[in-house]
Formats: sequence, C-alpha cells, structure tokens
Amino acid sequence: MEFPTKVIGDKAYIRVTSDLDTETAGEALRSAFNEVYEQGKRTVILDLSGAQIINSYGIGKVLMCYKRLKAENGVLMVKPLDGFVKETFELLMLDKLLPIDDSTSQ
Amino acid sequence: MSVGANPPCILLADGNEQSREMFGSFFAGRGWSYEVVPDSSAMAGALEKGTYDIIIADVELSGQDAAGVLRDILAKHPSQAIIAVSPNATYEDALKMFRSGATDLLARPVDFSWLERIVQQIVFSRRNDERERATYRFVTSERAEMRFSCADLARLSSISLPLVGRLAESGMLSQTDALKIRLAVQEAVLNGLEHGNLELDSQWKEEIEADGSDRFSSVRRQRLADPRYADRFVYVDLAFSDGCLEITVRDEGMGFLNAHVVQANGRLDSLACSGRGLALMSSAVDEVRFDRNGSVVTLMKRLHERKSTEDYGS
Repeated sequence: MEFPTKVIGDKAYIRVTSDLDTETAGEALRSAFNEVYEQGKRTVILDLSGAQIINSYGIGKVLMCYKRLKAENGVLMVKPLDGFVKETFELLMLDKLLPIDDSTSQ
Repeated sequence: MSVGANPPCILLADGNEQSREMFGSFFAGRGWSYEVVPDSSAMAGALEKGTYDIIIADVELSGQDAAGVLRDILAKHPSQAIIAVSPNATYEDALKMFRSGATDLLARPVDFSWLERIVQQIVFSRRNDERERATYRFVTSERAEMRFSCADLARLSSISLPLVGRLAESGMLSQTDALKIRLAVQEAVLNGLEHGNLELDSQWKEEIEADGSDRFSSVRRQRLADPRYADRFVYVDLAFSDGCLEITVRDEGMGFLNAHVVQANGRLDSLACSGRGLALMSSAVDEVRFDRNGSVVTLMKRLHERKSTEDYGS
C-alpha cells in the first residue's frame, strides 16, 4: 500500500487512500511522510477523505508526523474532515492541534 | 444446493430484446420468478416497487454508466446481489464491476448452466441470512467466546463480531454505535496484545530513529517472533442479555494500566503517547471497567428496545 504525495511550492500533500487502522496503512503514511520530509518540506497537509475509520494506531502515526515537523518549526495540517474521522479528531482534541487547510489546492 | 420451495426472484435489466427473450425463457423454464426492464431508469422504478434476490444487469444498459448504476443501487439497497453481464468480460471490465459492488460477472454469450449455479449459490446464502434474521427477532440472550494467539492477532486487520452485527440489524444498536463498539473492541484487543501480552511500553513510541521508525515497533516485531510472548492468548467474550451488551477482553500479560496511561487530572493529553485507545473505548460504550491492572477490560453498552416484528421487512 502506498499513499500518493504531491508537492506544490513549499507545501507537500499526502492523500490517505484507505482506513487508517492497520499497521500496513500506518507504514504507508510513515513512508509517504518520510518522502516529503526528506525533500525538505516542513508544511505537510494530510487529506484523510479516503479514510472512513481511524483508530488509536492511526492517530499515533499522525501525531508522529506532527511531532517531527514541530521539532523543526514545521506544521502538519489536515484537509477538512467529516464523518467518523472528524468525530474521532474532536473526541481526542486533535482538531485543536492540527489546523485545517481549506484551500482548494491539490 | 437447493433453495427450497421459495424460488429465486430476478430483475433482468437488458437493452437487447433478443437477449431479454433468451433470459426470460431460461428463467421460466426453471420456474423462477422474474421481471424484465429495458433500461436503467426502468430498473430504478422496479426497485422502488419491489424487492429481488438478484439483479442481472447488462453493463451496456442505456441511460447511465454501468459502474454508476451499480453504485446507485447499492447506496439504496446495500445487500442487493447484482450479476453484471458484459459483452467482453475483460480483466478491466471485471475489476471495474467488482469495485462498483457487483456480486459476479457473466460474459456473453451467456453460459446458462453457469448462471444457474451462481443464482443458486446467491439465493441459498440469502435464504440462510433471512432465516437467521427471523430467528434473531426472538433471541433474548446470546454468548460468544473467541480466543486468539498474539501471532494470529497481529496478522488480523480487524476482528469480526457477528453478535454486534445481529444486534444492529435487529435495531437494538444503531449502525454508528455498532461501528464504535467494533472499534472499541479493537482498541481493547490491541491493548491486550501490545501492552498486556507483548509487554510493550508506550513510552517507546517516543524513541524515534532517523528513518522515522520507533523502538515500540521494532520490539513489537521481535516479541511477535518470540514464543514466550507470541504464544500468549487474548480472549474476547461477548454476552447479550437483559438489554445489555457486555464484552470482556482478557490477556495473559501483566496488565497495561501504568501510571502514565491515565492522566492524573483525568483529562486526555492529545500529545501523550498513550491513552487515546482508552478515550475511544469510553466514547463507544456506557461503561468501561478495568480489572487485574488492565488485563481484563469490560465494555458495557445498554441496548435500545428491540424493533417490533412488524418493523422488519420480509
């Protein structure tokens, strides 16, 4: 499993195309993040619209990306969320931590 | 395989008159009940009025893209079985139809003996499901017990909980609550596996290597290959009785409720390396109870009143 990435200017986009609740999906996110991180991108936007379900494992992987960026004054953003994923972010107060990117890019 | 005295009921959607006649003659010869429509809008109309065991639909049906037609039908009737009929049945066709939710794919010229076999299989399975649903209208108590080794659990992407599905189908749980309960059980099982049986420390998730890997994941892999850890079991017991669903997840480790898991002020720390699973569990059920230092987790959910039998379809 691979999640597609795209770089536009100084921003990198990662499109999560499956539920984020397994080790395989978590590894796909880590690998996609590493790819853009190694290109020097420090503003990364996650598009989670392809995920209907996220669990604590998936959240852990998202936060790992957040922490690596924050350590270098970078920022992790998310495209507008909906459904169960949005509910989970709100429950875990991640909506306060990760800004929404509501631009039409990507 | 027999479908008994209740013959298959088919909706055939086919734009070709000659083909419709061939199918119709085959269905009539088998004593099956059927209706024939020539295009996708007539098919939508027929589905408004009646229910069918199987829709047999020509992928070149006029009016709309075949994949879109399938998706529209399944959005309204998620358990509808659909056999797509394609002039070519190429690999690409098959992939497109299966991704759109087709149950099976037939190539033209149609092999009617093969069609008969597919229809019998689908209808046999549907009749079994109907019998199960009919029985479940009157069940007031049920128990289920499952046991998994660590090695097997680590390979599973999710655990199926048929009892929870049956409660949702009977209206005692909403579909959303059923999803949340499945995820809560996954969280409890994952805790039992990783923090209980494999004795992994959540703090190791913070120890990240240059390549982005973490100590937690590497020790997890090592211990899953070590029989001292991997041969331990996780037990999942489900019991539905007296309007309450109780799910107990038990592991054979030392327990995972270390001091850092539960925040001292009772509030969740979004950035902490642990505790999110517990928050997800708590949000899904009415009560979460921990015993034996977290080696036994009990999730309790009060259920809605059962739907009256009149609320069920046939």
